[in-house]
Amino acid sequence: MYKAIVIGGSAGSFQVVTRILSSFSPNFNMPVFLSLHRLKHVRSGFLEALTMKSKIPIIEPNDKEQIKPGKAYLAPANYHMYIELGNRIALSTEEPVHHSRPSIDLSFITASNVYREKLIGIILSGANHDGAYGLKKVQENGGLTIVQNPKDCQVTTMTEAAISLAKIDHVFSIDQMADFISKLK
Amino acid sequence: MAEIGIVDTRNIIKLIQEKYACDFSDYALTSFKRRLENILLVRNLKHPEILMSKIKEDRNFYDKFLDEIAVPSSEMFRDPSLWRLLRDETIPKLYQETPNFKIWLPGVVSGDELFSLCITLKELNLLDKIHVHVSSLSNFSLESIKKGYLKASKVEVSEENYVRANGKENFTKYYKEVGGNFLRDTSLLDNVTFELQNIEMDNAPSGVRLIIYRNKMVYFNPTLQLKILKVFNSSLQPNGYLIIGVKEFLGNLYNVNDFSLVNPSESIYKKK
Repeated sequence: MYKAIVIGGSAGSFQVVTRILSSFSPNFNMPVFLSLHRLKHVRSGFLEALTMKSKIPIIEPNDKEQIKPGKAYLAPANYHMYIELGNRIALSTEEPVHHSRPSIDLSFITASNVYREKLIGIILSGANHDGAYGLKKVQENGGLTIVQNPKDCQVTTMTEAAISLAKIDHVFSIDQMADFISKLK
Repeated sequence: MAEIGIVDTRNIIKLIQEKYACDFSDYALTSFKRRLENILLVRNLKHPEILMSKIKEDRNFYDKFLDEIAVPSSEMFRDPSLWRLLRDETIPKLYQETPNFKIWLPGVVSGDELFSLCITLKELNLLDKIHVHVSSLSNFSLESIKKGYLKASKVEVSEENYVRANGKENFTKYYKEVGGNFLRDTSLLDNVTFELQNIEMDNAPSGVRLIIYRNKMVYFNPTLQLKILKVFNSSLQPNGYLIIGVKEFLGNLYNVNDFSLVNPSESIYKKK
């Protein structure tokens, strides 16, 4: 019933992202978009670190890369990642949003415009307000909204901002998150 | 965040096409819409129709619009590893092969790549020996570049990049602060030629040895990307180089037979 997942995370989210990536079942068959704040001048290393425990392949897409199910797309350093109509990713070097490029909001908004009610949006631990507005868009378009339980977060600003702005369907602990992910196809 | 619909976007594109014979219909939709939204927000225009009537009635406004609709480079010396490579290997090698050569920077907006290049050439003692040609959609963009204007928010990151690129000087040597504005050293541009261009780049220079066009094609759809690549192909000398953004990839959309990828990590292509 769902067709894509978009995940936003910042400070303190690495552990839970790797947990999510290691929880996908063998028959999981949706694209996953990872918009994670990262050092802008470090182009390599992050993808490799995330790939180690992932059950699905992770790609740092080039501009206009075709979206395929069962793969995760990691926003490259110093680029915004947009999900475009026509099943492609578009990258952008536009101004940072909430001091961030990649911007979680922009990935969420564009993904929501494409996948509407068939999108799952997940906001994880982080230190600024990026992602809250994007998650609100996911909700307004009928998608499913999930936030990591702030009690479980190393840094709570981002999840708390999302909870106060958008209507949240599930507030999950890391274990609940992993359990939910493992049941998706 | 102001939002603008697809219908409004198409209407604006149509208006510009009719009034100024400039066709934005092959720009990538998401980023083009975002640029429009940004213009409405910054100029405090309540409705797309106000923007349309300004574009229609005021040629100067339209020129400024062309500057604002384009996405400026994010910083100077973006991807320091590329600038190191250009300074330590690529440019000296090209100079050795053919001392008289031309570098073309199409579609400039903020001039960050241009100043990065000119600083690089200066530190190679080649600034007065290599011809740099710059073209832009907007006269306003060209004039702000000639004044050396550098956005305050880019100063710090540009300096960090310059240091990572092993720049030879103190970066502060290349700009000064005047009344809260950061102005770059415009003597770096003495040997640069500037020209207006249209979207299709009809007046492309010929005999070019190196084109630097990074993170520009991301804002186009494949139709326009392919058109521009044809222009570059006829502009470049045999064995000329094309450098695009590190996450731009010519092989993603079509079989590109005119160029071969010679440096995948910095996206450097060579004309076959």
